[in-house]
Amino acid sequence: MWIIKYLEKIIENPAEMKKAKKGCLYFGIALVVADMIIHIPQLHLVHIYFLWDWIPGFSALYGFISTYLIIIVSKSIGHAWLMKPEDYYD
Amino acid sequence: MVIESHRPLIVMLIPLIGTVLILLNREDENKREACSLIAAGAMFLTVVSMLPSVLEGNTFHYTLFTFLEEVSFTLNADALGMIFATVASALWLITTVYSIGYMRAHKEHNQTRYYSCFAVTLAMTMGVAFSANLVTLYLFYEMLTLITYPLVSHTQDEAAYAGANKYLFYLLGTSKAFLLSGMLMTYAVAGTLDFQHGGLFPSGVNSTVLVITYFLLLFGIGKAAIMPFHAWLPAAMVAPTPVSALLHAVAVVNTGVFSVLRIIFHVFGVDLMQSLHLGTATAALASFTIIMASLFAMTRDNLKARLAYSTVSQLSYIILGGALLSVSGMTGGIIHIANHAFSKITLFYAAGSIYIITHKTDISQMNGIGRQLPWTMAAFSIGALSMIGVPPVSGFTSKWYLALGAIESQHITVMIILLTSTLLNAGYFLPIIYKAFFKPPDDLAHAHGTEGDKDGGGHDGHEISEASHKFLVAPLCVTAVFAVLLGIFPNLFLNLAKWVIG
Amino acid sequence: MIDLWIHPGFLFILAAAALPFVKPTWKVAIKLGVPVLGFFVLVLVSHGIHGVLPLLGQQEMIFGRVDKLSLIFGYMVAIGTFIGMVFSLHVKEDKEHMAALVYAGSAMGTVFAGDLLTVFLFWEIMAFSSALLVFYAPGQQAREAGMRYLYIHILGGLLLLGGIFLYVGETGGIAFNALPQAGLGPMLILAGFLLNAAVPPLSAWLPDAYPESTITGIVFMNAFTTKTAVYVLLRGFAGTEILVPLGVFMVLYGLGYAVLEVDIRRLLAYHIISQVGYMVAAVGMGSEMAVNGAASHAFANILFKGLLMMGMSSVMLMTGFRKLTELGGLYKIMPWTFMFYMVGGIAISGFPLFAGFVSKSMVISAASELHRPWVAMLLTLASSGTFLSTGLKLPYYVFFWKDWDPNKVKHKVTDPPKNMLWGMGLAAFACTFVGVFPGPLYNALPFENAYHPYTWSHVIGAYQILLLTAVVFFMLLKKLDPEESISVDTDWTYRRGIAGFLWFIRKPVVRYENFITEVYKKGLIEPVKKLSQIGWTVDTWVFDGLVNASGWATLLESKVSEMFDVHIVDGTVNGVPVLLGGSAKRLRKIQTGSIQNYIMAMVVGVVVLGFVSLVLFG
Repeated sequence: MWIIKYLEKIIENPAEMKKAKKGCLYFGIALVVADMIIHIPQLHLVHIYFLWDWIPGFSALYGFISTYLIIIVSKSIGHAWLMKPEDYYD
Repeated sequence: MVIESHRPLIVMLIPLIGTVLILLNREDENKREACSLIAAGAMFLTVVSMLPSVLEGNTFHYTLFTFLEEVSFTLNADALGMIFATVASALWLITTVYSIGYMRAHKEHNQTRYYSCFAVTLAMTMGVAFSANLVTLYLFYEMLTLITYPLVSHTQDEAAYAGANKYLFYLLGTSKAFLLSGMLMTYAVAGTLDFQHGGLFPSGVNSTVLVITYFLLLFGIGKAAIMPFHAWLPAAMVAPTPVSALLHAVAVVNTGVFSVLRIIFHVFGVDLMQSLHLGTATAALASFTIIMASLFAMTRDNLKARLAYSTVSQLSYIILGGALLSVSGMTGGIIHIANHAFSKITLFYAAGSIYIITHKTDISQMNGIGRQLPWTMAAFSIGALSMIGVPPVSGFTSKWYLALGAIESQHITVMIILLTSTLLNAGYFLPIIYKAFFKPPDDLAHAHGTEGDKDGGGHDGHEISEASHKFLVAPLCVTAVFAVLLGIFPNLFLNLAKWVIG
Repeated sequence: MIDLWIHPGFLFILAAAALPFVKPTWKVAIKLGVPVLGFFVLVLVSHGIHGVLPLLGQQEMIFGRVDKLSLIFGYMVAIGTFIGMVFSLHVKEDKEHMAALVYAGSAMGTVFAGDLLTVFLFWEIMAFSSALLVFYAPGQQAREAGMRYLYIHILGGLLLLGGIFLYVGETGGIAFNALPQAGLGPMLILAGFLLNAAVPPLSAWLPDAYPESTITGIVFMNAFTTKTAVYVLLRGFAGTEILVPLGVFMVLYGLGYAVLEVDIRRLLAYHIISQVGYMVAAVGMGSEMAVNGAASHAFANILFKGLLMMGMSSVMLMTGFRKLTELGGLYKIMPWTFMFYMVGGIAISGFPLFAGFVSKSMVISAASELHRPWVAMLLTLASSGTFLSTGLKLPYYVFFWKDWDPNKVKHKVTDPPKNMLWGMGLAAFACTFVGVFPGPLYNALPFENAYHPYTWSHVIGAYQILLLTAVVFFMLLKKLDPEESISVDTDWTYRRGIAGFLWFIRKPVVRYENFITEVYKKGLIEPVKKLSQIGWTVDTWVFDGLVNASGWATLLESKVSEMFDVHIVDGTVNGVPVLLGGSAKRLRKIQTGSIQNYIMAMVVGVVVLGFVSLVLFG
C-alpha cells in the first residue's frame, strides 16, 4: 500500500510531482547514455539486424514518434469516419 | 438371399388385430390403451427380429395375392424397407405413450376412433415399407391417406374440416392424377412393377417416355412435399399434436420420401437416373424446396406451422440425398429418414407439451417458458440443434454425408445450398430457444404457478407443471436422447444403407 | 511419462454435468480441482495419438493428439480455467460455471483434436457454450449481442465446414495436419479459423459481444476462442504468407480502435485483437522462433490479458459503471485492484521482468531474424501503442483523472470480493514469475528455444520506448480525454443488412407461398362448389325421393331386427355366457355402440379375415 501512499503524495503535492518528473528525466538520460556505452563493440551482445539497432537512443525516439502517430492517426480516422453517437444502431 | 416368410404379413396383421382389440375395449380407457401399447410393442419386436437377417443382405418375401401375370400384391422386407419400418414401429410405441398423456390431459373426444385409426395407419405404413412392387405401394399409399383423414379432422370444427379437406385433396389429387398414370406407364413400358436393385426398366426404352414417367411418379408422391405440392402439410396442422407427430415423423411424410427413394433406387436405378440427368433435375427441385420452405418458416409465428415448413425443407434433404446419386449422398439421404424422424418428433412432442401445459401456440407468446417447462424446452433445443445440424446431434451426421455426397457428384452448389439452409434453420429455430430461456416471461403469474399453488392448478383445472404430465414429457426426453445417440452411433442405419446402395 | 490418457476436456465437461447435483463444498472442489487435475494429466501424458474412436459414422476420430504444440496450448487452457474459476467462485448460480466448464472442455477438445471433424465438433460446442456466457449477462443489450455472436460463429462454423467438405472430398481423409495454402477448401477452412481468431474484417463480433458478457465470463471468453484459433492456425497454416500482413494490420487496427474507445471492457476487447495480431503474424512467418513466439505470446496473454480483464470487470462490478467518462479517482478506493491491474498493464507492455518482455519480443525478434524490417518496425511501434492504451490511458482514466464522488452510487465502493482478488493476484504472480523465470515456459515451447530476452540492449531499448510513450501520453493528455461515442466496425454490414433480408422474406416470399397454398382454393374448390350447386338440385328431386323410400324400409327393418335382437339375440347373449359362466355385459358391449365403430369393425374384420385366410390357404 505504500505505492498508493506514494502516488497520493505525488498527485496532491505539486512539489513532489516536480521531483518525480525530474526523476523520470534523469532516468531517461541515463538510458540514452547506457545505450551509447553498450554500443562499444565488446559489450554489444545482440546481433545487428537493422540499421537502427546501431543508433543509440533510437528506441526512445521511436517510442516518441510511434505514440504520437498512433494517437493522431486514430483520432483523425475516428473523427472523420468511425465515431458515431451512442444510439447509432438502435 | 430371398427368404419366404410370413413375418412381413404378421407385422401388418398385428396392428390390425390391435385395432379390433381397441374397438372391443372402448369402454375401458386403460385396457384400450394397453391394447395399443401391446400391439405397438409386438409389432416393433417383430420388425426388429428381421433386422439381423436383413443386415446380412437377406430379404423377407411374401406374396399376398396375384391377380395378373406380373402384377401381384407382394411384400418384401429389404434394407430400405427395414429402415422405414424400424423407425416407424419404434415411434408408434413412443407416440402411443405420448398420446395417452395428450388425449387425457386435453380430455379429447372420440379417443377410441383416434387409437384405432392410428393402429390401422401403422398397418398401412408397414405395407408401404414392405411393398415389393409399385402397385402394392400404391394400394397402401392410398389407404394411408384415407385412414389418416379421421385423424387430421379429429377436432371436427370448421377449421379442422377445411384443413383435412385440403390434405385429402392434395394427396388424393396428386396420387390419382400423377402416381396412377405413372404406374400405368411403367407397367406398359417395362411389363413389370416389381422393385429391383438397379431399376426395373429394360434397356432401350425411349428417353422421353422415361422422363415423363419419372416426373409423373415424382409429383404423384404428394406425401414427399416437394414444392409446389407441399401445401397439405401446413394445412394438416389443425390436427392434434400426436397426429402431427405421426404425420411428420412416423408415417405419412416418411412414406412420401421412402416412396421417392424407391422410385430412384428400385424403379429407375442409379445408372438410368444418371444417364437421363434426372438426378440433377430432382436435386434442383429439392434444393428449391429446401430454401423456399426455410425462408417461409422464418415468417411463421405459429409454432406448429414453423415446424411444418421445417419438415417440408428437411424432406427435400432426403430426396436431395437420393438425387445426388453418389454413395455418400445416398447414404446421407437414407439415414436422414431415421435422424429426421427422431428429431422432428421430439420437436412436435414439445409443441404439444407446450400447448397442453401453457395453452400457447404462437412463438411470440413463448417468452420465458423455459423456466416452466425445462425438460420440454431442453428436448426442443436438442431437436432444433439437430435440424440446424450441430454435431454431435444426428442431423449433423446426415448433413455430413449429404455434403460429401454433393462433392462426390461434383455438385458444389448443393453443398452451398445445404450450408445456407443450415444458417436459415438457425435463423428460425434459435429465436425460439432464445425466447424460451433468456427472455423474462410475459405472464409472471403463470411462471410462478408451481410455487404458489400446491396442486399446480391453473385455470380449467389444467395442471401447469411438467411433473403432472409425465406421459407427455417422458417420450420427448426419450426421443431427444435417441436423436443424440443416433448422431454419435449411426452404425445401425449406416449398415442398412449400405445394402440399399449395394 | 505414463501412458494414461484421460481427455482433460472430457473431464471438464463431465464436471459441468455433475455440478448441479452436488453439495456446495463439493462444487468448489470440482471447480478448482478439475483444472488442476487436467493440468496434471497433461504433465504426465506421453506424446502420440490417443483416444481414437469410431464415432459419428467415421472410421476414426482422433481425440488425443499429443505433442509439444498441443500440450502447451493445453496447459494454457487449464491455467486459464483455474484462474477464471478462482475469480468466479463468488457466483452462486451453477449455470455460469457449467457453461464455462463446457467452454473450457471444448477448447481442450479442439486443441487435442487430430482430425478435422473432431475440430469442427468442438468448434461448435465452443461457439454455443461461450454464447451462453454472453446470454447469462442481465439486460436486453447483452442478449442481443449474444444472438449476434452466436450467428456469426455459426456462420464461421459453416465456412469451416464448407472448407472441410471440399478438402475431405478431394483428399478422402479427415486428418488434420499442415494444410495446402491454396485451393478453395483450405481457404475456406482458413477463413473459418480466422473468424475465430478475430482477424479483421471478421473481427467485429469480439468487441461487440465480449463487453456484454457476464462479469466473470469475460475471463473465460478471453482465454479460449481466440487462443484455440491461434493453435489451429499454427497446426494447419504455419508459414502461410498472407497471415503476416493480416497479423500486422490486426495489431494496428486493434490499437487504433482502443485509443478511441470509451467502454472499459470494449477497449480491452479491441486490444485482444491487437495482441492476437502478434500471434497471427508469427504464424505467418512460420520459422521456428516465430512459432515459438506465437505459442509463448498466447500463453502470456492468458495471464496478463486475463488479469486486465479481471481488473476492469472488478471495477464494473463494484461501481456499476463501464464508461471512462463515468469513472476516475479509484486508485485510493480500490487499491488492490489498481495494483494488480498495473502489473497486468506493465506486463502486457513488455516491461522487463514481466511476462510480455519474454514473449512479445520473441515475435519481433523472429521478424528481425527473417529480415523483415517492416514487420519488426510496425510490431515495435505497436508496443508503444499497447502501453499507451492499456498501461496508460485505461488506468489513468479509471483510477486517476478526477476524484471519485461517493454519492454517485448507493453502495460503498471498495475492492471486490476476496476470491476475485485472489484470481487477480494469481495472475499477477504468474506474470511476474514467467517474466523473471522464463525457463519453464521456454522448455514447453514446440521448438528448441534460441531466444534470449535478457540482453542489455533489449532491456535498455524497452525502457526507452516505454518511457517516451509515457511522456507523449502526458503531453497529449487532453486530446485523449474520452468522448462519448461508439465506433463503427465491420459489423455494420450485418447489423444494417439484416433488416433488408427480413423485408425480402416478409414480402415477396410470403406472397409467393400464399399464392401456392391458396391456388387450389381459387382454381378448384370454387368450381367444384359450383358444380355441386347443380348437383344439389338433382339431389333434392331424385335422391331425396330414394332416401325417403329407403327410410321406410329401414324403419321396418329396425323393428324386425329389434324383435330379433330382444328375443333371439339377447336370449343367446344372456344365455350363452351364463352357460359358460361369464357375464353378459361384455358381449352386450359388442353389439351396442355407434355405427362408425360397427363399420370400422366390419372393415377391419374383413381385412383381417382375408389376411388370415391367405395365411392359412394361400
